[in-house]
Amino acid sequence: MSPEIAGENIPADWLAEFEAAARRPLALRMKYAFIRTYKPVLDDAGYRSFNTMEDYRRWCQENLPSWLGYDRV
Amino acid sequence: MTAFEYRQAEEIRDAFRTHGVHYLFIGKSGAILLGYPDTTQDADLYVAKEPANGEAVVAALRELGFSLTSEQAAEIVRGKDFVQLKNGPFDLDLVFAPDGIERFEDAYKRHVDVDGFPVCHIDDIIASKQASGRAKDRESLPRLRAFREYWMLHHRK
Repeated sequence: MSPEIAGENIPADWLAEFEAAARRPLALRMKYAFIRTYKPVLDDAGYRSFNTMEDYRRWCQENLPSWLGYDRV
Repeated sequence: MTAFEYRQAEEIRDAFRTHGVHYLFIGKSGAILLGYPDTTQDADLYVAKEPANGEAVVAALRELGFSLTSEQAAEIVRGKDFVQLKNGPFDLDLVFAPDGIERFEDAYKRHVDVDGFPVCHIDDIIASKQASGRAKDRESLPRLRAFREYWMLHHRK
């Protein structure tokens, strides 16, 4: 598919990635997509629950290293 | 623990179907099911917040091998807004009230079926990431919106 058909607002490199992904079967897409790295604090408990999403966002803000990207901006 | 695998997604799908759980894949794992090329660590499930559905979720999770105490099971049945599970064969986030989406029923009407996996519409995935206000979500939005444009061109009904 040419870029003008796919949408002129999509950068060419992203379009190439979307089209490459579309050619892969779902199982292979998922194999490439899911990775495993240790996330400090977040991975240190087997179970956590929060009454509200606001509670969860606040907990992330107050407890997780900012480089993990969970801070609100 | 190893990375989440396609086989495990199938196990979720099959166990949740067996127990009649009302749920949708959401977040980046949902986008990946739709075809979005990116990486993530765990699966995010948007679960309908109803006691009967919570009981079905607990039964399905136990069948999948998650170790839930009776107190934890009770919390899931009551429907906390967010539950993070790292006490099973893979990591799973249960989201009962995602930011940016008003009602499960509305999201379900818009959902997409991908090989039997019920997945939130790309617009709902973007809405929830936009509403979360998190740095990592904010950074991912331009590429996700570009994917939406691509996806809509190919999947418009």
